[in-house]
Amino acid sequence: MGEVIVVTSGKGGVGKTTTSANIGTGLAALGHKVAMLDTDIGLRNLDVVMGLENRIVYDIVDVVRENCRLKQAMIKDKRFENLYLLPAAQTKDKTAVNEEQMRDLCAKLKDEFDYIIIDCPAGIEHGFKSAIAGAEQAIVVTTPEVSAVRDADRIIGLLEAAGLKSPKLVVNRIRTKMVKTGDMMSVEDMLDILAIDLLGIVPDDDSIVISTNKGEPAVLDDKSKAGQAYRNIAARITGKEVPLMSLEESGGFFEKIRSIFSK
Amino acid sequence: MNQFLAENLDNEKTLLLQKTLRSGQSIHYDGNVVVLGDVNPGAEIVAAGHIVVFGALRGVVHAGASGEAGATVTAFSLAPTQLRIGSLITRPPDGAAISLPEHPEIAKIKDGSVVIERFLPSSEKA
Amino acid sequence: MAFTDVINRIFGKDGNGSKDVAKERLRLVLVHDRANMSEDVMNHLREDLIAVINKYMEIDQDALEVSMNNEDGTASLVANIPILSVKRNIS
Repeated sequence: MGEVIVVTSGKGGVGKTTTSANIGTGLAALGHKVAMLDTDIGLRNLDVVMGLENRIVYDIVDVVRENCRLKQAMIKDKRFENLYLLPAAQTKDKTAVNEEQMRDLCAKLKDEFDYIIIDCPAGIEHGFKSAIAGAEQAIVVTTPEVSAVRDADRIIGLLEAAGLKSPKLVVNRIRTKMVKTGDMMSVEDMLDILAIDLLGIVPDDDSIVISTNKGEPAVLDDKSKAGQAYRNIAARITGKEVPLMSLEESGGFFEKIRSIFSK
Repeated sequence: MNQFLAENLDNEKTLLLQKTLRSGQSIHYDGNVVVLGDVNPGAEIVAAGHIVVFGALRGVVHAGASGEAGATVTAFSLAPTQLRIGSLITRPPDGAAISLPEHPEIAKIKDGSVVIERFLPSSEKA
Repeated sequence: MAFTDVINRIFGKDGNGSKDVAKERLRLVLVHDRANMSEDVMNHLREDLIAVINKYMEIDQDALEVSMNNEDGTASLVANIPILSVKRNIS
């Protein structure tokens, strides 16, 4: 039986879709059978982040309306045989899938897959409620900003009220230098306020922009720091204990010089 | 130019859209569709007949949606996310972006597969 | 910025960066968010207050005001309770 995990945040733009894509791909790279669900109906994006946008024929709304079979709508990833995406509809609205349909869908997918990763829309309305309806675990993504942490707090309350008792936190876009100078909230500050378990820390990394441009999740890039962070997160989801990575900027003065010469 | 293309379309009803179709917008029509504007990624046109775009075609289009294999897709800049004619589905190859030609192109079915050619008014007439 | 701050920054020591401001503001906002004082809750609180205070003094129930205040960096519950008379025989 698979595990259904919803990735949510409340606030938009904190990296839900990037996190979903990288966790899904990371789990697939570890050999698990993974389905990713984009539930942001009307504003789908997981397909472009995964580089699968030109393979879409059917979507999640076609599945719940029985215009096609579930298997027809699942898009196989171009890199992993064991990774599939069920895209959101782009031309419908958020009310097109309800909570009961979502529960049914998750129940069907659980028979086939080890992990089902749900990319939740921003907000706390209908789309959010449907997205979490079939989930057993929740990952809350936040960034070190007052607005994002506040929304994360609200979401944690709503998740708990919906029976998702122990959501895990992913802190995205940490900038080590700013944390050091005291101009950015540290992970400890946020954990102090939100009081939930930490799943991982993802540094602010240019490689994320590049990987999104290319449609290739950073988790597959060995040189990317964010990629490493996502590999650690994927491993932790499978139950492995992985220490938090050091976010120290690599190298002092001499290493910087070396990196200039090696260019 | 307008006059000329009209001659190539079959004698069936045609929808003229004088706007750019943006992501999330979807046009379904039981005939030909002519767009005076662009079709952006995430937008979709499904037409029973031909599709002509006086602009850049970057979204998803389906010509001959009710099974007409003779339907065509023509655009000033033909770079769809996905292109379907009749029951065939094609998409651009993975990998590096393809440089687009400066001239209009037409997609049609030839010998059971979708081909894209330079749009030559004279050859179309025949 | 004070000179010592500049020095602290250069050497990467913990200064009084804006994160403390952020954290403090968040704490306050969350007190309010989490309390989620709806009309209903406020009315219950009001009734309970009246019941308790009534044991000791007679108050003007209609003029009683209870509100959440979020000023000067602290969240507080403000109650304005006009007293009509204090009961005498309280042991």
